[in-house]
Amino acid sequence: MKKRWLIVAAVVIVLALLPLFISSPYVIHILNLTFLYIVAATSFRTIVISGQFPLGHGAFMGIGAYASAMAAKWLGLSPWISIPFGTAVACAVGIVIGLPFARLRAVYYAMVSLFFNMGIVQVIHSLGRWSGGYSGLTGIPTLLGFSKTPYYFCFLFLCLLSILVLYRFEHSRIGITWKAIAQSYLIAWSVGINERFYRVFAVAIGCFFAGLVGALYAHYNGVIGTATFSFMATFMLLMFCVIGGMRSFLGPIIGTSVLVLVPEIFRSLKQFSPYLAAGIMIFVVFFLPQGLVSLPGLMLRKMGKRHAP
Amino acid sequence: MQLFIGAVVNMLFLSSMYILVALGFALLFSIMELLHVAHGVIYMVSGYICSFFLTKLGLNQWLAFLLTVLIVSCFGPFLERFCFRPFFRDFDKMLLVGVAISAIVQTTVVLAKGYQFEALPPFVTGIIKWGPITVSLERLVTFLIGGALLLVLVLFINKSKIGLQMQAVAQDLEGALLQGIDVHRVSAIACVIACGLAAVAGGLMGAYLGLGAFMGDYVFTKCLILVVLGGIGSMSGLFLAGLIIGALDAFLPIFLSGSATEALSMGILICILLLRPRGLLGRELA
Repeated sequence: MKKRWLIVAAVVIVLALLPLFISSPYVIHILNLTFLYIVAATSFRTIVISGQFPLGHGAFMGIGAYASAMAAKWLGLSPWISIPFGTAVACAVGIVIGLPFARLRAVYYAMVSLFFNMGIVQVIHSLGRWSGGYSGLTGIPTLLGFSKTPYYFCFLFLCLLSILVLYRFEHSRIGITWKAIAQSYLIAWSVGINERFYRVFAVAIGCFFAGLVGALYAHYNGVIGTATFSFMATFMLLMFCVIGGMRSFLGPIIGTSVLVLVPEIFRSLKQFSPYLAAGIMIFVVFFLPQGLVSLPGLMLRKMGKRHAP
Repeated sequence: MQLFIGAVVNMLFLSSMYILVALGFALLFSIMELLHVAHGVIYMVSGYICSFFLTKLGLNQWLAFLLTVLIVSCFGPFLERFCFRPFFRDFDKMLLVGVAISAIVQTTVVLAKGYQFEALPPFVTGIIKWGPITVSLERLVTFLIGGALLLVLVLFINKSKIGLQMQAVAQDLEGALLQGIDVHRVSAIACVIACGLAAVAGGLMGAYLGLGAFMGDYVFTKCLILVVLGGIGSMSGLFLAGLIIGALDAFLPIFLSGSATEALSMGILICILLLRPRGLLGRELA
């Protein structure tokens, strides 16, 4: 247990010192996006462990992003106020949507939330001038200016904080209740668990962090479009989780890092990069049923076998 | 009145095409519990194969169309054997394989053809006038082909031995296995049907709407809506949902602008599903 915390501390220190050695703003930009997607993927998994398959998660990133960006642009709010506002709006919409959706189970929940995602994208389109419509919203006030490095520390801090909060949730009494509901809601009922409350609670937590990510992204990028929040974006979050390993808390973190960073290493092959991502996906699905998380364990076991007499 | 008749004709035309694509998708969904993300991509690529036969090989249009349908249907068993059978009824993994396939195919098409729209020549030209009704012959032919195919398929699924086996697997996997039904063979045949129908729709709609590398996404969305709205595992539900969605798509644009139409029809859809979570005519899924 001690050893694990030492590793985490070492990783955090390395990440905090990294900008001293990297001068390229592009690399910093990619790392910034990685931090944001890690939070989004981890919050996606938080809803999944409560037995719901949130294929509308991208929509909540979109709601957070657009609420915050429109408040800052049209009402003239400072990003420091509009980001909490966008997050709160996403969380509130999550609760309002989560209550009726808690009637649905399994595939039906996944499908209806997918339709919700598609519907929200169209609603944003139809707001016309206020949301920028199809061409996207431009000229959003930035949070910390135009240099990428200040954002690095800000996002690193928020990412670590969010991961810690979600980790504590999952390993608390609430997290155990979520897992119980996911395993069998009938048994959960019979021991007196309020299923609807806990499911909506999980959705609220997940949407809170999704909205936070969206709002931060809007004030970091300065430009947002609905393509970033469409159902393809949700599928991408799902990919991050499944490739990393859905069973483990580390899964989404590792999956996101690999899938965002590896195509960037081979950036010279720009237009072929979907092949690379597809290759990783197929490799993981066929050879690592538990996701990339299980790779070190598998390799250690293989090596151990070879050295055994 | 003229407007109304035009919208009704449009509704029938759109409905028949939607049902045609969604039928294959629904078969796979109910037999393998597979969310077939690559279905739209197969539809898209068959339009391009048809265009390849026409422009590069200079074949007759109907011959090119038939060849496309044959080739794409032959692709079905491979898909089933190598991509779906290893993960039978494992929702996440099959979804992921589907995403990988569609990423590969879509990137290939973009690399080969770019983002430009392309057009297939229409199969037939001209219009039919019948009293106050004016219908373009192309839509009529498309609708007739679609309708005839649907009739054949309904008969196949309800009367033939393999069709009944498909229904059995969809209703109860263990029961079907106990009766000695070869589930993998049934799913392979369903895959052939799904790919063939996607190819038929791709060829016909490619001539009607034009070809683009991302035209499959729209159709995939429609398939999903039809299957979930109609109720998983229900044929008549699928037809009913196809008519409803076709009607929404044909009538709403008369009153509203594009994105508002989409938003409103999604809203109506979500409301229906909240009131009837298992779809219009569906049954409870275990």
